[in-house]
Amino acid sequence: MAHYLQLSLTGLGAGAVVAVLAIGLVLTFRASNVVNLAHAAMGTYIAYVYYGLRNFNVASTQKGGNLVLPVFGVPGVVHLIDRPTVVTALAIALVVAALVGALVYLLVFRALRNAPPLARLVASLGLFLYLQAVMELRAHDIGAGAATLPLTSLLPNGVVRLGSVVVPTASFVLAGLAVTVAVVLGAVFRYTRFGLSTRAAAESEKGAILIGVSPDRVGLLNWIIASVLAGGAMIFVAGITSQLNPTQSSLLVVPALAAALLARLDSFAMATFAGLAIGVTQSGVATFQSQAAWLPSWLPNDGLRQALPVLLILVAITIRGAHLPTRASLVDSRLPVAPVPRRPWLWIPLLSGAAVVALYTLDAQWRLAIVVSVIAALIALSCVVVTGYVGQISLALYAFAGLAAFATAKLELAGVGFPWAPLVAVILTVVVGILFGLPAVRVRGMTLAVATIAAAVAIEQLVFNSPALNGLSGVPNPQLFGSNLGFLAPGAANFRPAFGVVAVVVLAASMLAVANLRRSPTGLRWLAVRSNERAAAAAGINVGSTKLSAFAASSLFAGLGGALLAYELPALSPQQFLVVGALAVLALTYLGGIATLSGALIAGFLASGGVLTRIQGGAAADTTTQYALSGILLILVAAFYPDGLSMAVRRAITRLHSVWLRGVRSRGAT
Amino acid sequence: MTALLEVTDLCVDYSGLRAVDGLSISLAHGTIMGLIGPNGAGKTTTIDALCGFVPQVRGSILLDGHPIDSLPPHMRARAGLVRTFQSIELFVDLSVEENLLVATSTSRWWSPFVDAVAPRRHVHRDDVNLALDTVGLRSLATARPSDLSHGQRRLVGVARALASRPKLVLLDEPAAGLDPAETASLGQMLRNLPELGIAVLLVDHDMSLVLDVCDRLTVVDFGQVIASGVPMDVREDPSVISAYLGGGS
Ligand SMILES: Nc1ncnc2c1ncn2[C@@H]1O[C@H](COP(=O)(O)OP(=O)(O)O)[C@@H](O)[C@H]1O
Ligand SMILES: [Mg+2]
Repeated sequence: MAHYLQLSLTGLGAGAVVAVLAIGLVLTFRASNVVNLAHAAMGTYIAYVYYGLRNFNVASTQKGGNLVLPVFGVPGVVHLIDRPTVVTALAIALVVAALVGALVYLLVFRALRNAPPLARLVASLGLFLYLQAVMELRAHDIGAGAATLPLTSLLPNGVVRLGSVVVPTASFVLAGLAVTVAVVLGAVFRYTRFGLSTRAAAESEKGAILIGVSPDRVGLLNWIIASVLAGGAMIFVAGITSQLNPTQSSLLVVPALAAALLARLDSFAMATFAGLAIGVTQSGVATFQSQAAWLPSWLPNDGLRQALPVLLILVAITIRGAHLPTRASLVDSRLPVAPVPRRPWLWIPLLSGAAVVALYTLDAQWRLAIVVSVIAALIALSCVVVTGYVGQISLALYAFAGLAAFATAKLELAGVGFPWAPLVAVILTVVVGILFGLPAVRVRGMTLAVATIAAAVAIEQLVFNSPALNGLSGVPNPQLFGSNLGFLAPGAANFRPAFGVVAVVVLAASMLAVANLRRSPTGLRWLAVRSNERAAAAAGINVGSTKLSAFAASSLFAGLGGALLAYELPALSPQQFLVVGALAVLALTYLGGIATLSGALIAGFLASGGVLTRIQGGAAADTTTQYALSGILLILVAAFYPDGLSMAVRRAITRLHSVWLRGVRSRGAT
Repeated sequence: MTALLEVTDLCVDYSGLRAVDGLSISLAHGTIMGLIGPNGAGKTTTIDALCGFVPQVRGSILLDGHPIDSLPPHMRARAGLVRTFQSIELFVDLSVEENLLVATSTSRWWSPFVDAVAPRRHVHRDDVNLALDTVGLRSLATARPSDLSHGQRRLVGVARALASRPKLVLLDEPAAGLDPAETASLGQMLRNLPELGIAVLLVDHDMSLVLDVCDRLTVVDFGQVIASGVPMDVREDPSVISAYLGGGS
């Protein structure tokens, strides 16, 4: 028992970091209604700044003092001062944090103040992808990769003894800091004019202006505080855990989001409590898993620790939700227009035919690119159905694809033959998809988005990381009626076109099905629920089951994409299905047009390693640059073309068409 | 003969505030009842509770003799109890016609599979056209809600409620924002509904409309019924005059 107590108290340190991140999320949400997915990524960048500055060795000639720049395309670092002390480096880092917070607000979120919630989410996604990519690139500039950065703890190394329980002092210090921050902010928000202004601005921008508050100044200040807090938290956590990694550190936002949601994105005290509780539970669960011998051996080492607290919060939020939004909650759920596809029976077969011709006439690299794009389009299509048509933001789709891929591979390797292995895998995926769609019956909007990230993290931590699934390879080629439909051919980098045809046919059939659904009674119900859940219920529509039908359809398409991946990839590994991939799927689909069929195709075209990459002539090596660019593009599209590229093109065509018609008419008249 | 709608002792709470307090009404088949009262009296909350949008603390609701208290909103709608919203709440992504079609569509768990392969036709087009004719908006069938005037949107909301051929419609301020001509034709239309087998519970502030079309009136204030009866009597009721009619309107 004492052992558990000791480990739980040790978890206070990690919990404090989650708590401070959660407080920052509450701040930015209160100030500008943004659930900032890039919050921890901003903090991670600040940690890079700090440890980059401190990257020197007294004995060597290395001078350190290099400031890492977050801007793509300029020199990676500038030299500031030689051998800065801890205090100097910390001061510089926190000033940079304040600047980053201010810039992010002024350049991105101020402009999106009145944008639809999905656009705001996507913009924060763009920021996330951008920061991550820049950090990947800069890791080299500040000292031969992050692994060798001197990640020393800023906190005392001693321990506190409580009877037989020994706890690092640092844990208590961090927890104390977190509680102090919460108390101070709570007091500031309750008693000062700034706090009142923030609340006024959050309630109504017009009202705030009327009582003489500038929403801009209030927003700016909140973003600066949030960014400084995130920077401080990430500097501390990197020092304690000796880990700083663009992806893993940025994903600390997931437990922080869970804590912030439990606090209804409103209460600092509750966010802090929930954050600390997550840390303590995680440590306790880790001990439990390391000691309980009866747990199945396929369970990943770190799985329960990572997944359990987040899942518990997911359940809590779901239970707290309601079947329908209340009259008072003015939900703003404007989504991009969802046009009925024009003449799908014409252009889908035509495009498919062109793709098949390309598969048989172009070289193996092109074949690979086409197949990658087709599979990506299929996964994007699942996003179009659930997010575009029904308005349920799901970030678990990529995890569903991964589930289908692993299941297909596992079944194939167990000797289940071709049509049956993917069939069973896809059915399994649909069942899981419906299961993880259940929260959508009771929660909506951003809460649902976060719930689905939590689900994706749980699948990743509990399933993909399992030793039983590590490095699945040697999936046999699919055979049907004696013909070989496989992709991988003997010999290096050679690919068979027959598999490409299978993929194209699956995508074409799926797109035709979605086109049918869109104009059918089912499609009308989906759009009705997307528009207005209360009115839909009043019109006799079962809102819950309508949402679940969309989750089922969407996981079906994601599952088909995943099953194809099992045959396309020479080996499967958990790294291929990280949560970041899911963010990229939503990002690309949004870019293309999240509520249109052609949007899914554009997403496939843009996917890394797909046709666009091939046209650029590049191997997929430069994905990092591509991520950085697509991050920026995403923010721009969210701000200026919230309907996505395909609608921009469609409108341009319509405009050209009418100009042309006018030209024809005026010529006819003269 | 049982009443179409029999509400007994209905109570609704909003975090401490009792918005509907022991309300009882009885509405016969083929009648139009007016539910009136000052702002904040609990009229919208009553409609919300009858349709299952807010939980009731106490009370019972019988529709055609069957208890519907435990049914979710969409089941109450399918049972023939349909409402409009004070804030209209059309489906902005759908055309006028589709707004009505979706209210008449039916769905089973396998319907999406059928629709994916061979989309079902909309079987209730006649009902939809009839409802659009009733409110006089047939010519706007393919328009988008965003292209309509405020009054037209309200009428589409009413048409959507009528399209599913309900037994009883609860109309929440259907005349708000309508011009006098539109209000007059709305009154005309409402009077015809009982012949189509549709009873009406009408909430509105336009007293001439209410007095004109209603067979009976129920007056509420602070969530309680303060008077009910035929319009002539209710008009004369002193408590009504002090609470509402005399209130300067
Ligand atoms: N969601 C809500 N939360 C708390 N109180 C509410 C809510 N909706 C309405 N109320 C209150 O309930 C009372 C009745 O409101 P309502 O039914 O809208 O009245 P009416 O429709 O007659 O104007 C009012 O005092 C109103 O302020
Ligand atoms: Mg009202």
